[in-house]
Amino acid sequence: MKVGFFIGCNIAFNRPDLEQAVRYTFPALGVELDDLEGQSCCPTWGTMPSIDPVGWYAVGARNLAIAEEKRVEMITACSTCYGSLAKTAHKLQTHRETRNRVNRLLKSIGKEYRGTSRIRHVVYYLYHEIGPEKIKASIKHGLERLSVAIQPGCLSLWPSEIQPEKEADVFHPKILRELCEVLGASAPPYSRILDCCGMGGMRSTDMEKSFILVERKLVTMKKELNPDLIVTGCSSCLIQLDTAQEFLQNKGKINFAIPVLHYVQLLAVCLGAEPQQVAGLARTPVLHLLNKIREG
Amino acid sequence: MLRSGETFEIINLSKGEAGFAEEIKKMGGERILECIQCGKCAATCPLALAGFPFFNKRVIHAILNGLKEVLLNDISIWACQSCNRCTETCPRRVDPFEIMMAMRRVAVRKYALPATAIKGIKSLYDVGHAVYLSEAGEPRKKLGLPEKPPTTVADPEALAEVQSILRKTSLATLGIIPMGEFGIFGI
Repeated sequence: MKVGFFIGCNIAFNRPDLEQAVRYTFPALGVELDDLEGQSCCPTWGTMPSIDPVGWYAVGARNLAIAEEKRVEMITACSTCYGSLAKTAHKLQTHRETRNRVNRLLKSIGKEYRGTSRIRHVVYYLYHEIGPEKIKASIKHGLERLSVAIQPGCLSLWPSEIQPEKEADVFHPKILRELCEVLGASAPPYSRILDCCGMGGMRSTDMEKSFILVERKLVTMKKELNPDLIVTGCSSCLIQLDTAQEFLQNKGKINFAIPVLHYVQLLAVCLGAEPQQVAGLARTPVLHLLNKIREG
Repeated sequence: MLRSGETFEIINLSKGEAGFAEEIKKMGGERILECIQCGKCAATCPLALAGFPFFNKRVIHAILNGLKEVLLNDISIWACQSCNRCTETCPRRVDPFEIMMAMRRVAVRKYALPATAIKGIKSLYDVGHAVYLSEAGEPRKKLGLPEKPPTTVADPEALAEVQSILRKTSLATLGIIPMGEFGIFGI
């Protein structure tokens, strides 16, 4: 099995330890990764989508065309990349005139969008393509007695109409919970499970307001679940939930710290990866917990 | 009720810009006139939860009343998370996400965009990534990864392709990147 790895800006430059986790996990589960050389930004909402929709779709379609040329599907660990590329593919498949305009732009650089590849979210790929049974059979270290609060990531859930893969009930997500339970952890629901983390356009526009959301989310997790760990499917949620805690502690808004990991980082450690390699850039301390998991 | 010393702004609806909703439709908010202001979108919106004055429902309301200047002078649309909760829940398939994007497209044509947005756009053109940290090479190396990921940052030809596409979009008319070699294409 081979799949294209769409890395995404935040992972490549802010959390390359997550990039390393993807590069460890997929081959360990028998999936070869193609680098999709020359890939660019998805692009994300504050850039081309906010200026020129055809330009947005063209940059996205160029990425999809790279995967098409290599005859592979693409995976991403970033829900924003998933949302942007899924919207691009959906538009190009349902709107002929837009597709023609995009292909005229792509033709000028010697490329064409054919619609033969697709973007897949790592969480759904692991669930549908690898499957809980194989994951369970492959892990070296289990998470027995570990309690996890999950954060799925908005664009892995909505808008469900355009997504190639989705939850059965998008307002009661279960897949990420099930994938954590397969590793041996408990991952119960909590009241604000669907709340936004506040990363993205909001954080770059007004950090203080963005932190209202992340504080509310963290406090609810702590109060209702008191989890050992937060596990997310999205690199943006990872960065926000991980970096906001130190800030909120210094402001006296919270008096606790909960380690945060992307699911692929956690899975990598369960499969035998060195914690420092796949989660070494976390700001909220997590290595003590991962080392304990490795010791069993 | 106002407390003593508090003021509020009176909006003169007769001064609204006629045809604003049509402009939004052309910019991608095609189904804006289907909105019945039911508020389902607002009930799910992170902007509303965080206390921004103009979240999805109110942006649509302001557009329908032609209040372009009011929206151009407010930062809320740029704080939209593009999370698509609104698009998922809208019973009239208005797609409020597209309306927020359309409003931003109107705003950038009036140069009403925040510095952080300009930074991301410029970065997309310069290196092919909206988010880029030039100092990421060292931590990448420490993790055993190549200093540059296998993207446009490591591939000048690939970057030239992305730049060539961008120069043929309306981005090239905004003065943020070099002007288009083939003139203005519009949206």
